[in-house]
Amino acid sequence: MTAIAAKSTASEGINPVASVIGIVIIIAAVAITAVVANFALAALIGVIIGGLLIGFGVHFVPVGGAPAAMGQSPGIATGVAMLAAGAGLAGLFGGAWAAANPEFGIAIVIAAGAIGGGLLMAVTCLMVNVVYIFGMGIPAASGKVAKDPITGDSQAEYKSQGTEGHGLPFVSYVGGVIGGMLGGAGGTLIYYELLQVYAARLPEIFGATAEGVLPVAISLAGIFAVGMFLMNAVLAAYNITGTIEGPHDPKFKRFPRAVIGCAVASAVAGLFAVLIVVV
Amino acid sequence: MTVQVTASTGGIPHNKIMAFGLVGSLVCLYLTYLNQYLSVEYAAFFGGLAAVFALIWGTDTIKHLCSYGIGTGVPSAGMIAFGSGAIAMLLATATQFNSMFLSPIMAVVFGAIIGGVAGWLANSVMRMNIPVMVRSLTEMAIIGAIVLMGFTAVMAGGFGFEALSAREFALFGSLAIKNFEFTVLGGCLVAVSFMLGAIALQHPFNACLGPGEKQDRTLMLAAECGFLSMIPVAVISFAFVGIGAAVLSLIVAVVGWYYTYARYIELSKRDAFAWLDAKPILEPKGED
Amino acid sequence: MESVLLGIGVTALAGALATVAGAAEDTESNIGSQGDPNSQVQLAPQMGYIHRIYNKAVSGEPPAYGLWVTISAGVAWAFMITGMNPVLAIVIASALAVFVQGVYATTAYLGRTASLAKFEQPVYIDVIKSVTTVTMAHAFVAIFTTVAMCYLLVEALGHPFPLPLLGIVWGIALGAAGSATGNPFYGKERQYQTQNFGAGVPISASGNIVRYAEAGQRSSLDNGWFTAKLGGPASGVCFGLIVFLELWRTVLFESVAGGWGAIIAGVVIILIFMIIDRYIEVWARKNYGPYVKAEEVSA
Repeated sequence: MTAIAAKSTASEGINPVASVIGIVIIIAAVAITAVVANFALAALIGVIIGGLLIGFGVHFVPVGGAPAAMGQSPGIATGVAMLAAGAGLAGLFGGAWAAANPEFGIAIVIAAGAIGGGLLMAVTCLMVNVVYIFGMGIPAASGKVAKDPITGDSQAEYKSQGTEGHGLPFVSYVGGVIGGMLGGAGGTLIYYELLQVYAARLPEIFGATAEGVLPVAISLAGIFAVGMFLMNAVLAAYNITGTIEGPHDPKFKRFPRAVIGCAVASAVAGLFAVLIVVV
Repeated sequence: MTVQVTASTGGIPHNKIMAFGLVGSLVCLYLTYLNQYLSVEYAAFFGGLAAVFALIWGTDTIKHLCSYGIGTGVPSAGMIAFGSGAIAMLLATATQFNSMFLSPIMAVVFGAIIGGVAGWLANSVMRMNIPVMVRSLTEMAIIGAIVLMGFTAVMAGGFGFEALSAREFALFGSLAIKNFEFTVLGGCLVAVSFMLGAIALQHPFNACLGPGEKQDRTLMLAAECGFLSMIPVAVISFAFVGIGAAVLSLIVAVVGWYYTYARYIELSKRDAFAWLDAKPILEPKGED
Repeated sequence: MESVLLGIGVTALAGALATVAGAAEDTESNIGSQGDPNSQVQLAPQMGYIHRIYNKAVSGEPPAYGLWVTISAGVAWAFMITGMNPVLAIVIASALAVFVQGVYATTAYLGRTASLAKFEQPVYIDVIKSVTTVTMAHAFVAIFTTVAMCYLLVEALGHPFPLPLLGIVWGIALGAAGSATGNPFYGKERQYQTQNFGAGVPISASGNIVRYAEAGQRSSLDNGWFTAKLGGPASGVCFGLIVFLELWRTVLFESVAGGWGAIIAGVVIILIFMIIDRYIEVWARKNYGPYVKAEEVSA
């Protein structure tokens, strides 16, 4: 195996042929659902939207990876997929809680999920800056742009020598919160739509009361939401090759690829998740 | 500056390990059907062995994939494997497939579909252009599904959707009620298998990478991770299967773990530069 | 009213447990050099700096803590449905999870170090013996408190998720909060103590980590007290605030305005945090000043 010497040749821009094939796969998944499980058609579309929200949201989360832990590059010092997962799953927690209240409609449930994810990122990003500023005496500076697009603060002179910047400039902070919100909303949407399908179909399959099978419906929807969340988050992380500063980073422009990719992945995964109550 | 992912070359070819892992894990998964056939629960531990076979195979797959710079580290590969594997595995447990003894085969088929799509997306739509991407993610989704199915078999003695969701509790002799909450799916114990498998899949290569990586040591660690993960699963199984079957699973897991752990330490001792106890830093003799 | 009072009490207790969990998590990961700072421990021997620092390359903290907490939650749940006392169940389950954590830690140290043989980095057995046990102790605190918090969420606040699913959610969130807050403080301030204060580590200095202590050689155990200075408590505050505010806004305002009360409260909290962040960012720019004059940079 000569894999060690070989290098990946990732390239920029959208691959039109692959994108069209991807959209065909989405349509096929929707068509199969319409034929074999008509009742779940709306749910599948919800799952696809949830998936692309996650893929889009990951691009907002400022993650610097290992160099960020040494103050060598801006962003949060951890892995992008896992940080997004932390925020998205905290959102899922809030969303699932709201979904357990029968009085609340879909809008409140999704909003609760979004706020849960945004809250985690708001607290985490603040504590990152607190540690940088009060623990290490380092001001925030971006390495990718000369001026913060939101506040207009110049960045370059606050960058210490031999580094690509450090900490979280305000635009990265806002990006982190938006990313957490999108992730939380996406994860909750997947959970909520699948929960509706399972809660409606499982009593029939098991010949039991709706209340009796609710734990199974919640667990199934929950683990599917976690699985699809991680799948989409890792695919989006592959798209940005690990690190990104936030919405001002040039890599952010790659998001259409991730949106298509995550929609396709969610369509296939969502189809499988719906089929479990059909076969 | 970050660490380069380096690994050894040569050793047992990947196709051979893949064949060994796939056949071994499928045979073990089918052996758990003995439970259904003979109406016993003692065959549950074969699920754990299936997971060990699959993890050994998966470690070699991850090694090939991560030798290319994928930019997000080794652990994320384990996460996507189990994210997609969980979906494939749950669909494969559907009563329809299980009653026809098809669940393990269907897990492989569904895993291949979902993993293949994910790999194709990463390569073509995300334009990562890594030659082994499609194949690796396909293999890893299959592995994820097999490992989850194996651990589920250890916990519950089988993997029929209905059996995982509902249990009958006898009340006052003849009267039985169905309970859905205290079951493998109702308690979402798939989440436990999910994390156990995802970390066990990425750990062996992640822990052994470096210029001195040796295939036999890494694969020994894979087996160790498999048996180690089987220990909590066997402990959980006390709540679902008879005490005899659960104790048998636990003994298999502990004995397997102890043997592989001891062997792994021996192999590490063989490969280490020096094996020192309470000694100071030895500055290198090189030009530094 | 009574249920709200109970809810507030449980919220406060859950927040306190989460704070302890966050602090213990960061201390544990720094003693073992887990997460992103691990890359430097791995890099140092390749640059010729042999060291006696632990190398716990299990994975990033979020997946690792996802696993430890989920094992404990799952085993505790299984014990509880067989009728075991919840406190006893969580303690025994956490002990089992810590056993798994300890085994993973030793295999990671042995594996990574043995693979560095080419750079003459020896395996120090005494490091394994002394450090692994300490990380296991801290991990136990983090796991036990997180699972206890999850148990409160299910039993006292009525969250619909079963305990193992809550374990995966809050385990990953715990690792994310702890690694985000704690990693820079350990990675920059501790590993590169000899570099300039108030500046990032120049990329050219990578791998030149501090290997000697005030007397003798640096032991990973000392990272524990260093973390306790700021990184650990900050991680604890981070995770504690996340859990507390998330519960607080739901418990108190969920019934206001047909459910939108909790959403509005969340938005207000996020905005307050955003303002605080902007304030300290500007404060740092004003008080620390730029590294170089603006004119020179523009050239």
